[in-house]
Amino acid sequence: MRTTGKKSSNTLVRDLVNVGIFGALYLVLSGIGASIGFIPAFIVVSTCAVSLVTSVPLFLFFSKVERPLLCCVLICTLFGVVMMFSGHGISYGLLCVIYGVLAGLSLKLFHKNFVGCLLANVMISFVPSSMMIPLWSSTEEYLAYCSSVCDSAYIAHLAELSSSYWPLIGLFGFGAAGAVVGGFVARRVMKKHFERIGLAQ
Amino acid sequence: MKLDPRTKLFLALAANGMIFTAPLVYSLLMVVVASILLLLEGKWKFVCTFFFVYLTAGFFFDQVKNLDIGTSGTIILASLFLMYRIMPACAVLYYVITTTKVNEFLACMSRMHISNKVTIPLIVMIRFFPTVYDESRAIGNAMRMRGIRLFSLRTLKNPVAFLEYRLVPLLVSVTKIGDELSIAAVTRGLSTDTKRTCVAKIGFRWVDFVVIAYCLIVVCAFFNVIPGL
Amino acid sequence: MNISLKNISFSYSDSLDDAILKNLNLEIRSGECVVLAGESGCGKTTISKLINGLIPHYHSGTMDGDVLLGDKNTADMTLAEISRTVGSVFQNPRSQFFNIDTDCELAFGCENLGMDPEEIKQRVANVVQEFHLEHLLGRSIFNLSGGEKQKIACASVSATGPEIFVLDEPSANLDLKTIADLKEIVARWKKAGKTVIVVEHRLYYLRDIADRICYVKDGQIAHEWTPAELEAKGAAYASSLGLRCMNLGMLNGREGVILSEACDVIVSHTCSERQRGRLAKQSIMFDNLTFSYHHKHPILDIDRLELPCGQITALIGHNGAGKSTLAQVLCGLQGSWHQKRAARKHGTYLIMQDVNHQLFTESVLDEVLLGMKPQDENLALEILEGLNLKQYAENHPMALSGGQKQRVAIGSGISSGCDVVVFDEPTSGLDYRQMLAVSATLKKLAASGKTLLVITHDPEFILNSCQSVIRMEHGKIVEQYSLSGHENQLIKTMVEC
Repeated sequence: MRTTGKKSSNTLVRDLVNVGIFGALYLVLSGIGASIGFIPAFIVVSTCAVSLVTSVPLFLFFSKVERPLLCCVLICTLFGVVMMFSGHGISYGLLCVIYGVLAGLSLKLFHKNFVGCLLANVMISFVPSSMMIPLWSSTEEYLAYCSSVCDSAYIAHLAELSSSYWPLIGLFGFGAAGAVVGGFVARRVMKKHFERIGLAQ
Repeated sequence: MKLDPRTKLFLALAANGMIFTAPLVYSLLMVVVASILLLLEGKWKFVCTFFFVYLTAGFFFDQVKNLDIGTSGTIILASLFLMYRIMPACAVLYYVITTTKVNEFLACMSRMHISNKVTIPLIVMIRFFPTVYDESRAIGNAMRMRGIRLFSLRTLKNPVAFLEYRLVPLLVSVTKIGDELSIAAVTRGLSTDTKRTCVAKIGFRWVDFVVIAYCLIVVCAFFNVIPGL
Repeated sequence: MNISLKNISFSYSDSLDDAILKNLNLEIRSGECVVLAGESGCGKTTISKLINGLIPHYHSGTMDGDVLLGDKNTADMTLAEISRTVGSVFQNPRSQFFNIDTDCELAFGCENLGMDPEEIKQRVANVVQEFHLEHLLGRSIFNLSGGEKQKIACASVSATGPEIFVLDEPSANLDLKTIADLKEIVARWKKAGKTVIVVEHRLYYLRDIADRICYVKDGQIAHEWTPAELEAKGAAYASSLGLRCMNLGMLNGREGVILSEACDVIVSHTCSERQRGRLAKQSIMFDNLTFSYHHKHPILDIDRLELPCGQITALIGHNGAGKSTLAQVLCGLQGSWHQKRAARKHGTYLIMQDVNHQLFTESVLDEVLLGMKPQDENLALEILEGLNLKQYAENHPMALSGGQKQRVAIGSGISSGCDVVVFDEPTSGLDYRQMLAVSATLKKLAASGKTLLVITHDPEFILNSCQSVIRMEHGKIVEQYSLSGHENQLIKTMVEC
């Protein structure tokens, strides 16, 4: 009598396919969540919307993967690579890898219990939040470039926005808060639905 | 005029890596090369539309900057301006995406010795987008039949429930498809142990070297302007 | 290459107490075509998974016994090695392909095994010629029909040149014409000397190809016959075992084709405005059902559709005839504003082929209450009782079996106050008993006064439950007739295709 389906390169393929699928879902849902950010007043809140909406699929993802560290790194890297091709530098890609490692480690250390999943969710919420960093890190070049095309009032506004780091912290903060609230919502949804269906492990 | 996918990747990276920070001339130079390549592929309709929209928008922003439209007006303008900035990058991306087949892309990934662990999720992701769309549409139809709409009283009273109705069937469906996909893949020999071969023929030709040289020249010329690469 | 399963016991859980296969022994000789038949849940799919290596390498569970391919034990081989010898084709076309276009998909299996690109090109060219797939080359897989996808899947697996083919209900989502193509593919494999194992409910298309049929019951192989022996035993014997018929031409002689039996009625909830005119009507008319994507040639071109009230009408036709589009337009999910308004006026509801798209809430009772205005729990419970679901009122809808989920969807439709219910292939992949259960539910619905339109490829089901037939071709209605007295016409149309 022996156990079948042990962890092996075959189950690795299952994990990789899950990364691909939930990666696609994450991209689509974060895009929808971020579209709220097109309304200028809501830019800071958009990260909150993104992390709220993506919490439920992420929690399901965490429960399904057998190798949390690898899968978190991969999903964040893939997101980073896709974003790299739409205007964010290589440094953004590296940041994503770091967030992925942190998320995977949280899952592993806490053995995928609720705290671990919550922490991982917060780490991953930093990924879309970090997309806005260029506004602060390369302000001078951006402003210099803008002044050639825009008027001084607009420049003054931008300078005001990026003069202090508070809005940036606000972005990350909102993102993390959304991730925490989303985590509680996700746990309820998991209990209500996925555990009863038998999808979550 | 077939370019090796690696050249296209390099072009995309060079063009888009610096959207937010590089000066306008940089973006325009990139657009020029993308337009030439697109014209060689025969997509002159896209190139014409693109230039028309881009130049009109540029003219518009040029005129508007002298007007005084107040704080909120400026903020809206700033957002539109951001989208305007992204347009050149979109042109380059359009070229890369529409002229590269998935198996060529994979072949170039394996040539660059990127492990299977990254390429498999990428294949799945690319192949999965249309499926997510189809499933989502079917669920949307089912919701409409039951009278659950986005802008209705019921949704306003309970937005979390709306999210639940939208997401839960999608996730169940997606998980099931994912399981079936992995089983199909694994029974067809997909594994991280064996090295995959590719039918697609890729290789560098003189066009590739021209494009790469061009990109390198442009990047170096503006090197002092590009921050912290 | 011979296959032997020796003393196999397997369970999907941690212990062998609830084993799905108990001490099973099976020997398959090289070049044989074996059909594994049996009711749902009997373990035939598990046997196929033992042969293609998913058990023990992929699915978790507990196992005892050995599986030998030739003289090698599958437990000692990796799945990649096993896939060189065993090729698998599964039931659902939509989740078998990994690539976006057909050329890449055909080469996919060979690429995975690390073959030389020139050799892969040669193999793909051979397989395209063998299976007559020239017209499918260079196309996006998302634009193919289910049957074409399944053919590409078979070809892609064939290109790697395995000795053994394992097919898990390959005909489940296909129409009769594509099943004929599938039969040719299996025949070709057999002629080339390959061993083919098919897990199936629909036995008729393998009548001339299979060497033997193994009937699996309670985790054992209970019976073994040749197709001729099973056919000789008669239709009644086959249906007592839960098997579908062996010979479509024999369908007419089936017992139990009672079309007007009295049955219970499901309490329903109808919109009051419609109720006034309903009792007097003989048939429901749908006008102006034309539809096309982007003003190209019309997919649907029907001036008037007349459905007899309170009856079950079957809608048949080849894949691509426009049946699903008709269903969507009738239910107001696609089409112009007028068509959507007409759908609301007539109160149409669609039970989709994949019922998972229609289940939203956390309990069956909530599901029925969801579409109800105003919400009345007692009425909901009555509806559930009529559908034999009252005991599952607190269960999660997605945790139920396929047939039960279908009934939940029907219940939610009833509570939304619909009058016309359209079913999209309700019996694909079901065994005989499950098909009869669906048939009983639909007859109950019709007796309650609903008008039903069923899109189906299942002739047994049509003869069992429908009163009239509509046939579609290229977006137009070609014929419409009442079934009583015209059964031969139906069978002739479906068998000839």
